[in-house]
Amino acid sequence: MLDQPIIRACLIIGSLITAFIILRRVRQAKVQIEDTIFWLAASAVLLILAIFPGIAFWASRLLGFVSPINFVYIVIIFLLIVKQFFMSIRLSQLDSKVRILTQRIALNEEKAERDKLDL
Amino acid sequence: MSKLLIVIPAHNEEENIVRVVRKLTTQYPQYDYVVVNDGSRDKTAALCRANGFRLIDLPINLGLAGAFQTGLRYAAENGYDCAMQLDADGQHKPEYIEPMLAALEEGADIVIGSRFLTVKKPKTLRMLGSYIISWSIRLTTGRAICDPTSGMRMFNRAMVEEFAQNLNYGPEPDTISYLIKNGAVVKEVQVEMGERIAGRSYLNLWNSIQYMVKMSISILLIQWFRKRDTETPYSERKA
Repeated sequence: MLDQPIIRACLIIGSLITAFIILRRVRQAKVQIEDTIFWLAASAVLLILAIFPGIAFWASRLLGFVSPINFVYIVIIFLLIVKQFFMSIRLSQLDSKVRILTQRIALNEEKAERDKLDL
Repeated sequence: MSKLLIVIPAHNEEENIVRVVRKLTTQYPQYDYVVVNDGSRDKTAALCRANGFRLIDLPINLGLAGAFQTGLRYAAENGYDCAMQLDADGQHKPEYIEPMLAALEEGADIVIGSRFLTVKKPKTLRMLGSYIISWSIRLTTGRAICDPTSGMRMFNRAMVEEFAQNLNYGPEPDTISYLIKNGAVVKEVQVEMGERIAGRSYLNLWNSIQYMVKMSISILLIQWFRKRDTETPYSERKA
Protein backbone atom coordinates (compact mmCIF):
# COMPACT_ATOMS: atom_id res chain seq x y z
CA MET A 1 0.00 0.00 0.00
CA LEU A 2 2.93 2.27 0.80
CA ASP A 3 4.15 1.84 -2.78
CA GLN A 4 1.15 3.89 -3.93
CA PRO A 5 2.11 7.53 -4.40
CA ILE A 6 -1.16 8.85 -2.96
CA ILE A 7 -0.54 7.62 0.59
CA ARG A 8 3.03 8.90 0.51
CA ALA A 9 1.78 12.26 -0.67
CA CYS A 10 -0.72 12.32 2.21
CA LEU A 11 2.05 11.54 4.70
CA ILE A 12 4.25 14.29 3.29
CA ILE A 13 1.43 16.87 3.29
CA GLY A 14 0.36 15.84 6.81
CA SER A 15 3.83 16.19 8.27
CA LEU A 16 4.46 19.51 6.54
CA ILE A 17 1.13 20.90 7.81
CA THR A 18 1.98 19.76 11.35
CA ALA A 19 5.37 21.48 11.21
CA PHE A 20 3.85 24.61 9.71
CA ILE A 21 1.12 24.89 12.35
CA ILE A 22 3.50 24.38 15.29
CA LEU A 23 6.04 26.88 13.91
CA ARG A 24 3.28 29.43 13.42
CA ARG A 25 2.36 29.01 17.10
CA VAL A 26 6.02 29.69 17.96
CA ARG A 27 5.92 32.83 15.86
CA GLN A 28 2.83 34.05 17.68
CA ALA A 29 4.54 33.25 21.03
CA LYS A 30 1.69 30.91 21.92
CA VAL A 31 3.69 27.76 22.67
CA GLN A 32 6.81 27.07 24.69
CA ILE A 33 9.79 25.90 22.65
CA GLU A 34 10.23 22.71 24.71
CA ASP A 35 6.73 21.64 23.66
CA THR A 36 7.40 22.09 19.95
CA ILE A 37 10.33 19.69 19.76
CA PHE A 38 8.16 16.55 19.96
CA TRP A 39 5.92 17.69 17.11
CA LEU A 40 8.79 18.75 14.88
CA ALA A 41 10.55 15.43 15.52
CA ALA A 42 7.35 13.48 14.83
CA SER A 43 6.72 15.27 11.56
CA ALA A 44 10.36 14.72 10.56
CA VAL A 45 9.97 10.97 11.19
CA LEU A 46 6.81 10.77 9.04
CA LEU A 47 8.44 12.86 6.33
CA ILE A 48 11.46 10.54 6.21
CA LEU A 49 9.22 7.44 6.09
CA ALA A 50 7.24 8.95 3.22
CA ILE A 51 10.24 10.07 1.19
CA PHE A 52 12.25 6.88 1.74
CA PRO A 53 9.66 4.05 1.78
CA GLY A 54 12.57 1.59 1.61
CA ILE A 55 12.94 2.03 5.38
CA ALA A 56 9.38 0.78 5.95
CA PHE A 57 9.85 -2.13 3.52
CA TRP A 58 13.08 -3.15 5.24
CA ALA A 59 11.62 -2.81 8.77
CA SER A 60 8.44 -4.71 7.97
CA ARG A 61 10.45 -7.60 6.46
CA LEU A 62 12.61 -7.59 9.59
CA LEU A 63 9.64 -7.53 12.00
CA GLY A 64 7.44 -9.81 9.89
CA PHE A 65 4.64 -7.39 9.01
CA VAL A 66 2.46 -8.29 6.02
CA SER A 67 2.49 -4.77 4.63
CA PRO A 68 5.00 -1.95 5.00
CA ILE A 69 2.17 0.49 5.76
CA ASN A 70 1.64 -1.43 9.02
CA PHE A 71 5.11 -0.34 10.08
CA VAL A 72 4.12 3.28 9.47
CA TYR A 73 0.99 2.76 11.60
CA ILE A 74 3.07 1.20 14.38
CA VAL A 75 5.44 4.16 14.36
CA ILE A 76 2.52 6.61 14.61
CA ILE A 77 0.85 4.61 17.41
CA PHE A 78 4.15 4.42 19.29
CA LEU A 79 4.72 8.18 19.02
CA LEU A 80 1.18 8.87 20.24
CA ILE A 81 1.47 6.52 23.22
CA VAL A 82 4.79 8.05 24.26
CA LYS A 83 3.27 11.53 23.99
CA GLN A 84 0.21 10.41 25.95
CA PHE A 85 2.42 9.00 28.69
CA PHE A 86 4.43 12.18 29.16
CA MET A 87 1.32 14.35 28.94
CA SER A 88 -0.29 12.28 31.65
CA ILE A 89 2.71 12.79 33.94
CA ARG A 90 2.75 16.49 33.19
CA LEU A 91 -0.99 16.81 33.81
CA SER A 92 -0.68 15.19 37.19
CA GLN A 93 2.17 17.54 38.12
CA LEU A 94 0.08 20.51 37.01
CA ASP A 95 -2.83 19.18 39.05
CA SER A 96 -0.77 19.08 42.20
CA LYS A 97 0.68 22.54 41.52
CA VAL A 98 -2.81 24.02 41.12
CA ARG A 99 -3.87 22.36 44.37
CA ILE A 100 -0.86 23.79 46.24
CA LEU A 101 -1.42 27.27 44.81
CA THR A 102 -5.15 27.25 45.59
CA GLN A 103 -4.51 26.18 49.16
CA ARG A 104 -1.80 28.82 49.53
CA ILE A 105 -4.11 31.60 48.31
CA ALA A 106 -6.97 30.47 50.55
CA LEU A 107 -4.71 30.20 53.60
CA ASN A 108 -3.24 33.66 52.92
CA GLU A 109 -6.72 35.15 52.61
CA GLU A 110 -7.89 33.48 55.79
CA LYS A 111 -4.85 34.91 57.57
CA ALA A 112 -5.49 38.40 56.16
CA GLU A 113 -9.13 38.29 57.27
CA ARG A 114 -8.19 37.03 60.74
CA ASP A 115 -5.61 39.84 61.12
CA LYS A 116 -8.24 42.40 60.10
CA LEU A 117 -10.72 41.07 62.70
CA ASP A 118 -8.07 41.20 65.42
CA LEU A 119 -7.38 44.88 64.80
CA MET B 1 25.62 54.71 38.58
CA SER B 2 22.73 52.58 37.32
CA LYS B 3 20.51 50.97 39.87
CA LEU B 4 21.27 47.25 39.65
CA LEU B 5 19.26 44.35 41.01
CA ILE B 6 21.06 41.04 41.57
CA VAL B 7 18.65 38.14 41.18
CA ILE B 8 19.73 35.00 43.03
CA PRO B 9 17.58 32.02 42.01
CA ALA B 10 17.88 29.31 44.66
CA HIS B 11 16.62 25.74 44.52
CA ASN B 12 17.63 23.52 47.44
CA GLU B 13 20.71 25.61 48.25
CA GLU B 14 20.64 25.51 52.07
CA GLU B 15 24.35 24.73 52.18
CA ASN B 16 25.38 27.73 50.06
CA ILE B 17 22.79 30.48 50.22
CA VAL B 18 23.87 32.13 53.49
CA ARG B 19 27.55 32.22 52.54
CA VAL B 20 26.81 33.62 49.07
CA VAL B 21 24.41 36.35 50.22
CA ARG B 22 26.58 37.26 53.23
CA LYS B 23 29.57 37.80 50.94
CA LEU B 24 27.45 40.05 48.75
CA THR B 25 25.98 42.14 51.58
CA THR B 26 29.25 42.60 53.48
CA GLN B 27 31.65 43.19 50.57
CA TYR B 28 29.30 44.77 48.03
CA PRO B 29 26.61 46.64 50.00
CA GLN B 30 26.15 49.12 47.12
CA TYR B 31 24.12 46.58 45.11
CA ASP B 32 20.53 45.50 45.77
CA TYR B 33 19.74 41.82 45.59
CA VAL B 34 16.76 39.51 45.88
CA VAL B 35 16.77 35.78 46.53
CA VAL B 36 14.10 33.90 44.57
CA ASN B 37 13.46 30.61 46.34
CA ASP B 38 12.19 28.25 43.65
CA GLY B 39 9.99 26.00 45.76
CA SER B 40 12.91 24.41 47.61
CA ARG B 41 12.20 21.36 49.75
CA ASP B 42 15.04 22.13 52.15
CA LYS B 43 15.65 25.02 54.56
CA THR B 44 16.63 27.61 51.91
CA ALA B 45 13.63 29.89 52.57
CA ALA B 46 13.81 29.48 56.37
CA LEU B 47 17.52 30.40 56.36
CA CYS B 48 16.83 33.51 54.26
CA ARG B 49 14.09 34.64 56.65
CA ALA B 50 16.21 33.92 59.73
CA ASN B 51 19.05 36.03 58.29
CA GLY B 52 16.75 38.83 57.13
CA PHE B 53 17.62 38.44 53.44
CA ARG B 54 15.31 39.99 50.88
CA LEU B 55 13.35 36.99 49.64
CA ILE B 56 10.68 36.10 47.08
CA ASP B 57 9.40 32.69 48.12
CA LEU B 58 7.73 30.80 45.26
CA PRO B 59 5.24 28.29 46.66
CA ILE B 60 5.95 25.76 43.88
CA ASN B 61 8.94 24.88 41.73
CA LEU B 62 8.93 26.84 38.47
CA GLY B 63 12.37 25.91 37.19
CA LEU B 64 15.29 28.29 36.63
CA ALA B 65 13.60 30.23 33.82
CA GLY B 66 10.47 30.87 35.87
CA ALA B 67 12.38 31.77 39.02
CA PHE B 68 14.69 34.19 37.22
CA GLN B 69 11.74 35.76 35.42
CA THR B 70 10.13 36.39 38.81
CA GLY B 71 13.24 38.35 39.81
CA LEU B 72 13.10 40.34 36.56
CA ARG B 73 9.45 41.22 37.16
CA TYR B 74 10.45 42.44 40.59
CA ALA B 75 13.18 44.56 38.98
CA ALA B 76 10.77 45.97 36.39
CA GLU B 77 8.13 46.83 38.96
CA ASN B 78 10.56 48.44 41.38
CA GLY B 79 12.28 50.79 38.97
CA TYR B 80 15.67 49.13 38.52
CA ASP B 81 17.82 50.16 35.54
CA CYS B 82 19.34 46.75 35.07
CA ALA B 83 19.36 43.27 36.55
CA MET B 84 21.67 40.29 36.59
CA GLN B 85 21.63 36.64 37.52
CA LEU B 86 23.96 35.40 40.25
CA ASP B 87 23.89 31.68 41.04
CA ALA B 88 23.23 30.69 44.63
CA ASP B 89 25.93 28.01 44.60
CA GLY B 90 28.73 30.57 44.75
CA GLN B 91 30.15 29.86 41.27
CA HIS B 92 29.60 33.45 40.18
CA LYS B 93 32.01 35.82 41.87
CA PRO B 94 30.61 39.23 42.82
CA GLU B 95 33.95 40.98 42.16
CA TYR B 96 33.09 40.83 38.45
CA ILE B 97 29.80 42.71 38.83
CA GLU B 98 31.54 46.07 38.53
CA PRO B 99 33.28 45.45 35.16
CA MET B 100 30.08 43.90 33.80
CA LEU B 101 28.07 46.93 34.89
CA ALA B 102 30.65 49.22 33.27
CA ALA B 103 30.33 47.29 30.00
CA LEU B 104 26.53 47.54 30.17
CA GLU B 105 26.69 51.30 30.73
CA GLU B 106 29.00 51.70 27.74
CA GLY B 107 26.04 50.62 25.65
CA ALA B 108 25.06 46.98 25.63
CA ASP B 109 21.72 45.28 26.03
CA ILE B 110 23.16 42.10 27.51
CA VAL B 111 26.55 41.52 29.14
CA ILE B 112 27.70 37.93 29.63
CA GLY B 113 30.26 37.07 32.29
CA SER B 114 32.40 34.85 30.10
CA ARG B 115 34.95 32.30 31.25
CA PHE B 116 36.52 31.94 27.80
CA LEU B 117 36.95 35.41 26.35
CA THR B 118 40.69 35.66 26.91
CA VAL B 119 41.17 32.16 28.33
CA LYS B 120 41.21 29.20 25.94
CA LYS B 121 38.18 26.94 26.27
CA PRO B 122 39.40 23.48 27.35
CA LYS B 123 38.71 20.67 24.88
CA THR B 124 36.98 18.35 27.33
CA LEU B 125 33.78 16.33 27.10
CA ARG B 126 32.18 18.75 29.57
CA MET B 127 32.88 21.65 27.22
CA LEU B 128 31.64 19.79 24.12
CA GLY B 129 28.16 21.20 24.69
CA SER B 130 29.53 24.70 25.00
CA TYR B 131 31.43 24.28 21.72
CA ILE B 132 28.31 23.02 19.92
CA ILE B 133 26.20 25.94 21.19
CA SER B 134 28.91 28.51 20.36
CA TRP B 135 29.14 27.02 16.89
CA SER B 136 25.35 27.08 16.42
CA ILE B 137 25.17 30.74 17.42
CA ARG B 138 28.10 31.54 15.13
CA LEU B 139 26.38 29.77 12.26
CA THR B 140 23.00 31.43 12.72
CA THR B 141 24.00 34.95 13.79
CA GLY B 142 27.58 35.35 12.57
CA ARG B 143 28.58 36.50 16.04
CA ALA B 144 31.09 34.76 18.31
CA ILE B 145 29.84 34.13 21.83
CA CYS B 146 32.70 32.50 23.70
CA ASP B 147 30.75 31.31 26.74
CA PRO B 148 27.08 30.94 25.81
CA THR B 149 26.18 28.67 28.73
CA SER B 150 27.45 31.06 31.41
CA GLY B 151 24.54 31.88 33.69
CA MET B 152 26.15 35.15 34.81
CA ARG B 153 24.31 37.61 32.58
CA MET B 154 23.35 41.24 33.03
CA PHE B 155 20.42 42.92 31.27
CA ASN B 156 19.54 46.56 30.72
CA ARG B 157 16.10 48.03 31.44
CA ALA B 158 14.65 47.33 27.99
CA MET B 159 15.78 43.69 28.18
CA VAL B 160 14.48 43.34 31.75
CA GLU B 161 11.02 44.42 30.60
CA GLU B 162 11.15 42.18 27.54
CA PHE B 163 12.29 39.14 29.54
CA ALA B 164 9.83 39.85 32.33
CA GLN B 165 6.66 39.65 30.30
CA ASN B 166 7.24 37.31 27.38
CA LEU B 167 7.00 33.60 26.70
CA ASN B 168 10.11 31.76 25.51
CA TYR B 169 12.53 34.18 27.14
CA GLY B 170 14.38 31.76 29.38
CA PRO B 171 17.86 32.87 30.47
CA GLU B 172 19.45 30.43 28.05
CA PRO B 173 21.69 30.55 24.95
CA ASP B 174 18.77 30.20 22.51
CA THR B 175 17.22 33.44 23.75
CA ILE B 176 20.61 35.15 23.42
CA SER B 177 20.95 33.90 19.84
CA TYR B 178 17.43 35.05 18.99
CA LEU B 179 18.05 38.51 20.44
CA ILE B 180 21.38 38.91 18.60
CA LYS B 181 19.57 38.03 15.40
CA ASN B 182 17.03 40.73 16.23
CA GLY B 183 19.61 43.44 16.75
CA ALA B 184 20.39 43.32 20.48
CA VAL B 185 23.94 44.31 21.48
CA VAL B 186 25.56 41.47 23.43
CA LYS B 187 28.98 41.93 25.03
CA GLU B 188 31.18 39.56 26.96
CA VAL B 189 33.42 40.36 29.93
CA GLN B 190 36.12 37.95 31.09
CA VAL B 191 35.32 36.46 34.51
CA GLU B 192 36.58 33.63 36.60
CA MET B 193 34.17 31.16 38.12
CA GLY B 194 34.55 29.04 41.23
CA GLU B 195 33.62 25.42 41.62
CA ARG B 196 30.43 24.55 43.46
CA ILE B 197 31.47 24.20 47.12
CA ALA B 198 28.52 22.26 48.52
CA GLY B 199 25.25 20.79 47.37
CA ARG B 200 24.46 19.04 44.13
CA SER B 201 24.20 20.35 40.59
CA TYR B 202 21.15 19.32 38.61
CA LEU B 203 23.39 18.66 35.60
CA ASN B 204 23.96 14.94 35.19
CA LEU B 205 24.80 13.28 31.89
CA TRP B 206 21.21 12.64 30.83
CA ASN B 207 20.05 16.17 31.69
CA SER B 208 23.05 17.62 29.86
CA ILE B 209 22.24 15.65 26.71
CA GLN B 210 18.58 16.72 26.87
CA TYR B 211 19.65 20.32 27.37
CA MET B 212 22.05 20.16 24.42
CA VAL B 213 19.49 18.64 22.07
CA LYS B 214 16.89 21.20 23.08
CA MET B 215 19.32 24.13 22.70
CA SER B 216 20.66 22.95 19.35
CA ILE B 217 17.23 22.41 17.80
CA SER B 218 16.04 25.69 19.25
CA ILE B 219 19.01 27.76 18.02
CA LEU B 220 19.46 26.10 14.63
CA LEU B 221 15.82 25.67 13.68
CA ILE B 222 13.12 27.24 15.82
CA GLN B 223 14.58 30.72 16.43
CA TRP B 224 14.26 31.53 12.72
CA PHE B 225 10.48 31.46 13.00
CA ARG B 226 10.07 33.71 16.03
CA LYS B 227 8.79 37.23 15.70
CA ARG B 228 9.99 39.83 18.18
CA ASP B 229 7.36 42.03 19.74
CA THR B 230 8.87 45.31 20.93
CA GLU B 231 5.64 47.28 20.56
CA THR B 232 3.66 46.03 23.56
CA PRO B 233 4.66 48.16 26.56
CA TYR B 234 5.42 46.58 29.91
CA SER B 235 2.11 46.13 31.69
CA GLU B 236 2.24 47.40 35.24
CA ARG B 237 0.56 45.11 37.71
CA LYS B 238 -2.28 46.73 39.61
CA ALA B 239 -1.60 46.67 43.33
